[in-house]
Amino acid sequence: MNALRRVAVIVGYEWRRALAKKWFFALVILAFAIQVLIFVVFNYLFTNPLPDLPPEFQVALEQMKPYMWIVEVLTPQGFFMSLIVIMIAGGSMSEEYEQGTSDILLSKPITKLEYMTGKYLGGLSLLSFVAAMTTILGVILAIAFFSPQESLQFIPHIYLAIVYSNLVFLSLAFMFSEVLRRTTLSYFSAIGVYISSMVITGVLSAVHSFTGEQLYLDVSKGLPDWGASNFPSFVMGKLLNVPNNPFISPTQGDSNLLLAGALIAVYTAIFIVVATIRLVRSDVTKKTA
Amino acid sequence: MNALSSQPVITVSKLTKFYGDFKALDSVSFTVEKGWVYGYLGPNGAGKTTTIRTMLGLLKPNQGEVQITGINPTKDPVQALQSLGYAPELPTLQTFFTGEQLLDFMGKMFGLATQARKEKIKQLLDLVGLKEWGDKKIGKYSKGMVQRLSIALALINDPLVLIMDEPTIGMDPEATAHFRNLFSTLSKQGKTVFISSHLLDEVQRICTHVGMINRGRMVFNGPITQVLEAFTKQWVIEAELKKVTKRMISALKKLDYVEDVKAEGNKLRIELKEKKDLRGEISSEIFKRKGVLLSLNLHKITLEDAYLRALKGGQ
Repeated sequence: MNALRRVAVIVGYEWRRALAKKWFFALVILAFAIQVLIFVVFNYLFTNPLPDLPPEFQVALEQMKPYMWIVEVLTPQGFFMSLIVIMIAGGSMSEEYEQGTSDILLSKPITKLEYMTGKYLGGLSLLSFVAAMTTILGVILAIAFFSPQESLQFIPHIYLAIVYSNLVFLSLAFMFSEVLRRTTLSYFSAIGVYISSMVITGVLSAVHSFTGEQLYLDVSKGLPDWGASNFPSFVMGKLLNVPNNPFISPTQGDSNLLLAGALIAVYTAIFIVVATIRLVRSDVTKKTA
Repeated sequence: MNALSSQPVITVSKLTKFYGDFKALDSVSFTVEKGWVYGYLGPNGAGKTTTIRTMLGLLKPNQGEVQITGINPTKDPVQALQSLGYAPELPTLQTFFTGEQLLDFMGKMFGLATQARKEKIKQLLDLVGLKEWGDKKIGKYSKGMVQRLSIALALINDPLVLIMDEPTIGMDPEATAHFRNLFSTLSKQGKTVFISSHLLDEVQRICTHVGMINRGRMVFNGPITQVLEAFTKQWVIEAELKKVTKRMISALKKLDYVEDVKAEGNKLRIELKEKKDLRGEISSEIFKRKGVLLSLNLHKITLEDAYLRALKGGQ
């Protein structure tokens, strides 16, 4: 059996492992529910315009209507997708150590690198599947209730942008799972980094708004959350080119799009390299649970 | 296979493993050849599981090397572990699988074809007595059933080498006897079985060779017949009399071939200077002194005696 087949066997195993968890379904259902909720809110706003809403917002909202599929697709991207990927990857390696099943798996004819690749690709394929589901649901809801929808040819672009941007927290949680080899600690660490990064980015952006000092904004861009959160919006902003609309983030130039893309790649690479070094150089930890 | 016949199936040479400052294995060496049932004995914390986990490439030794069928599992796990089956001590198996699904998954890990897996799964579930439980989630299995399934998993690839860490722990006596027979049968089929156990009676019954480890050091390695010989300085005769007198004890002590005599109630423990069956001579001596003999047994050394002596010597 060649290396690819061994990796594929572990990918299949990883799916079984994740799908056996109730929280996985709960989070996915919650993400779907949020999408439906957003639809309800926007549908209400379109049918019952708020009297106090400034006219420019009213215009922007109307302008947004043909692109509601993007709002629907991007809604779970922020918090829920990050949380789902952290939950997928945060226990991927550590649970096997804690339960002692890593001994059983790694005493089979497979290299550590093949095992890790299978585990990582298993998580990535699950992320891709969940992203595909939320994308399809978002598009269906938008087409059903806000027709006609425009620029649907960009569905694959937004889907790929969502998957790509989530690599940061998938890899971060995966790294913690391998380095710490404790599932709860790994979840808390990854969520901690995610929330801290989000809060710090927000604070630095606010300080930048008050002071006009560029440095704060530049520093905030270096945090893991910035690229991961904004990349899909930047991609769509560039593709759609709807100027001055607050509901679709403007790209603020190609440099931001490129920077976000590059930061995702750099963070992902760093996290994977750290996890690989830890796995290859150290012993397989004995059962702890 | 030609390579196998000319070299040991398992070669452990000068294996040393540290956990921080603690030396878990201290230059451990032994070889296991084809068809042997090798019992690996030692008290808790002696280094048995560390040895096994190093043999499987799960731990990297600080010094020394392991070879399974001539291949180092740390350097080339794919080749080294292809013909190896492993059942860990008190295994925790993936509870989200059914027994059949887990066997199927492990079969895939070894690259078995779909039809071959199907047939093997059926055969193994029958062999380990889990035929009725194959489609049930492992989460519903008892400890003993998990242990049985773990042995089935170790056999899915029809391995040449079988490594078992305390394989019958948690099993009922009937299952223990069943698996004891299974290991003997596998050995007769030319498979090499390596068993780590603290059940000395079990080891004595099925093992052809024994390794003893204490505090990370090998204290004995060789055929089971040799271990009994090596740690036997004397044989003991246990005699039960109607009445034991001081005169009787002192007369027996004076015999040339008697090392010592200890009395406890109406029982005598006569330690001989040699490894000889001298029951005839002892009974004549007792009759000569008008003693009434109720029973007379020659107590040869058991593996347990040898084990305890080996550990004492190794400390």
